Amino acid sequence: MKCVACGFEGPVDKFRYLYNARIDASMSMRQCPKCNEWNAVDELKDEALEIVNPGDAPWGKSAGIEGISA
Amino acid sequence: MASCNECKSFFSLEDDDSMGDCVRRIVDPRQAYYQAKPVEADNDSSNCASFQKK
Amino acid sequence: MATTAKEIKEFEEKQEWWWVAEKTRSSRLDYLRKAVWKKGALGGNYAPGIEIDLEFPELYTETWQENEGDPIMLRKAKSIGNVLENLPIFITDQSQIVGCVGSAPHNIVSYWQGASMINEEIYNEQGILPQPEEKSLERLAALNEYWGGNTALDELAKVLDPEDAVKFMSGAIGWGTPSSAVGYATKDFRHIGKGFENIIEEIDENMERTDKLLRGNPSPDLLPLYDKLPRWEAMQEVLDAAIEYAARYARLARIIAENFETDPKRKEELLRIAETCERVPAQPPRTLQESIQYDHFVQVVVRYETYEGAMPHRPDYLHGPFFDKDVNINKSITRDDALDLLGEHLIRTYEIGIFSPRWTREGLQGITGTWVWTMGGVNEDGTDACNDCTTAYMQVARLVRIANPTFSFRWHPKVKDELMREIFECIRHGLGYPSLRNDPILVENAMYWHGHPLREARQWVTQSCMSPCPPTKYGCQPFRMASATANCAKIVEYTLHNGYDNVVNMQMGPKTGNAVDFKTYDEFFEAWTKQMKWLLNILVRTVALGRAKDPEFFSRPILSAYYERAVETGTDAVDYTNGERGNAWVTAFTWVENADSLAAVKKLIYDDKKYTMAELIEALKNNWDGKEEMRLDFVNNAPKWGNDDDYVDDIMVQCLKTTAAHGKEIKCVCGNNIPILPENVSGNIHYANVVSALPNGRRLGDALYDGGISPGPGLDKKGPTAVLKSCGKIDHVLDGRAFLLNQRLSPTQLAGEKGYQLWKSYVKSWDDLGMDHVQFNMVDDSTLRAAQKDPEKYQEVIVRVAGYSAHFVDISRKTQDNIIQRTVQGLG
Repeated sequence: MKCVACGFEGPVDKFRYLYNARIDASMSMRQCPKCNEWNAVDELKDEALEIVNPGDAPWGKSAGIEGISA
Repeated sequence: MASCNECKSFFSLEDDDSMGDCVRRIVDPRQAYYQAKPVEADNDSSNCASFQKK
Repeated sequence: MATTAKEIKEFEEKQEWWWVAEKTRSSRLDYLRKAVWKKGALGGNYAPGIEIDLEFPELYTETWQENEGDPIMLRKAKSIGNVLENLPIFITDQSQIVGCVGSAPHNIVSYWQGASMINEEIYNEQGILPQPEEKSLERLAALNEYWGGNTALDELAKVLDPEDAVKFMSGAIGWGTPSSAVGYATKDFRHIGKGFENIIEEIDENMERTDKLLRGNPSPDLLPLYDKLPRWEAMQEVLDAAIEYAARYARLARIIAENFETDPKRKEELLRIAETCERVPAQPPRTLQESIQYDHFVQVVVRYETYEGAMPHRPDYLHGPFFDKDVNINKSITRDDALDLLGEHLIRTYEIGIFSPRWTREGLQGITGTWVWTMGGVNEDGTDACNDCTTAYMQVARLVRIANPTFSFRWHPKVKDELMREIFECIRHGLGYPSLRNDPILVENAMYWHGHPLREARQWVTQSCMSPCPPTKYGCQPFRMASATANCAKIVEYTLHNGYDNVVNMQMGPKTGNAVDFKTYDEFFEAWTKQMKWLLNILVRTVALGRAKDPEFFSRPILSAYYERAVETGTDAVDYTNGERGNAWVTAFTWVENADSLAAVKKLIYDDKKYTMAELIEALKNNWDGKEEMRLDFVNNAPKWGNDDDYVDDIMVQCLKTTAAHGKEIKCVCGNNIPILPENVSGNIHYANVVSALPNGRRLGDALYDGGISPGPGLDKKGPTAVLKSCGKIDHVLDGRAFLLNQRLSPTQLAGEKGYQLWKSYVKSWDDLGMDHVQFNMVDDSTLRAAQKDPEKYQEVIVRVAGYSAHFVDISRKTQDNIIQRTVQGLG
């Protein structure tokens, strides 16, 4: 897997698992061992999708009517 | 030697003038307040940075 | 420049309630609100400028050392007396209520007699030591050297079963300190309200009577009386010291008025403060200001004895008659004056700051303790107890917007619509409180589980976040929950791993068998039951011993003086033989994971046979790594709690009923039952790295579910009625002591009159289904995300975390994300 921020490459388990974006999606947050940035990771593809900064919500809207109104 | 009872901040107890309160106004980053700390009247205050002669 | 009505309207339309509050509150409340220091840890760390008070422990320790030969309660009373008489005090500009725990507004305190491990943690805590740091470290080292090995918890460790102690203190299965050094106690306000001088007189009479007996005919009955005398002396000592402490404030107020203050109006206020402190707590209050000041002194003084992390209390009931007399009958003060006093009451309480060890700070992010104040409810005779003061507290809460204390409202069918609107406004303004408690259900529950008589049960207050307790002579609970807090997700985890804990790497629970060998779901559930019983037993056993030994190892002179039964019998308030009825419960953290995990195992392993138990255990041991498809199957294709699905709901009810049956088998120190009470504070975040991967699809590291019976965030897919229907399958009287339900609602949907009516009909369904608790977050995603991005601009956004509220910017990123992930329910 390749860090979106610094390009570090390594197996997915080298990126420290932080927590899930939501339990019913395959996306999680993992931290790059080189630059410490938070990557949003697709766990089905072992692929880093984007860097997650405070306020970002790569999982989209919350479930319920918040999601519907998106 | 200066002692606390010579200071403007010293207020002796009504029933015991050997004791009193050192009352100081303090302004911290959030608020202003008066603080009272019990002290003995003849306490040596020569090293007290806040000492102000009455 | 003054804010115009138009500008305020704009803030209201944008639902920026914090600006509305700032622009509409009095200038006094505005100053006091901004002046108060934030003492809850911010995501685990203390804010810059917060300092530990070292004068307090030094004064305490000095007297403690001088009185080595005294019985513990008297030795302690003298030590507290020295603190109350000599610790610096302060009066903040514009303030009308005085008294603080600590010698300066930015101080937090700790209790060196409590626990060496907390003392050592303070020594190593960065950023809270007074400057120069080197000098502070020397002072701390001296304190720690004296107390090391001699604190209440050190003494308890010497008598605990070593295996129980190691498991209890591992941090894996529960939390809490089995000592009243860290706890909370109900206050017997009917007794306290007599005035301290009258309590001192009562003690005098008891001592005189006892003294006469001791000079009479010798008998074995006389022997216990000798120990009572120093305890009574201790109670008098602390009451006298508390009166002196108030007198010191009176003196300071007069000194300021007569020597420094130039504004005649403020001078008058200072003289009123002086008169108030000369009256209370020595004598009963006569006015609203005296009543609030009395109440505040009671709460502050007891926090010079110990870390009381909760505030069981009914302030509208206590102050309501004075509010009515001063504002509505005598008109001696205006309603605005009264709001200033109530608002400052909230602020002064928020000001209390006590050092928490790191694990507590993670579990209670953003606050010092769960000061949950109980409002509303009924009188002893069942009539409506809500009054004008209840309404005023709701109104002023929206003006001062603090996260601690929060309110728990005892809802019942006779509550008037006008008051319900005030409550809804608090929720709509995003305070996250009051929570709603179903009074008839909880009165019945108190009678069922603990045998409290009806008239006492009707007086209940929230003992900590959730559990009701009657604040009566024999109902008052002096010691935390008198049982324990359990990390319940470990029950299903240990069932899967034969009692072995793969996170702390030790055998914790009993060896209930290799799960691979269980042929049926019933066998699996049988093992679950054994693990559940083991968990409750070890925690209750440990805390019960701590409770029994507490008068010997820690001692509570102030609390004893506050308890009629302790004053009457010359015993320590914590002594379980003085008539206490017993009101214990086990707080069940991380409970719902059990239902969802058991349902997943039953469905995918035993019913559908899609996976083998061996495959599941292997995946869990590897934290689902490389098994994402399988993990998603366990999340999405196994029924989840909160969707009105009988498959999983029946499992939830079975777990609760099995545990409730055990709650009738195990007994507290008073011999009463111990139900469970599912809730989490922010333990769901604290335990995220302690609970291993589970069959509900979570990994080690993921937040656990947030409530006591709240569905998993995002997993309640069928709307709010389905959530209520699932939760309504629980018997909220027979199946446990109380059940915490978090719900997130949309502020946009619930705007205006239509919004109120939708919410009100939701409350009706909640009551129809016989539920005991619900609380609401009503802040939208976009505001919360904006606050994450730009915290400086959103300092005043409040959220409901669990049994308490916190400022959103004060909680960790993970907790913030967990709140954002919760489903936003649409009503109607």
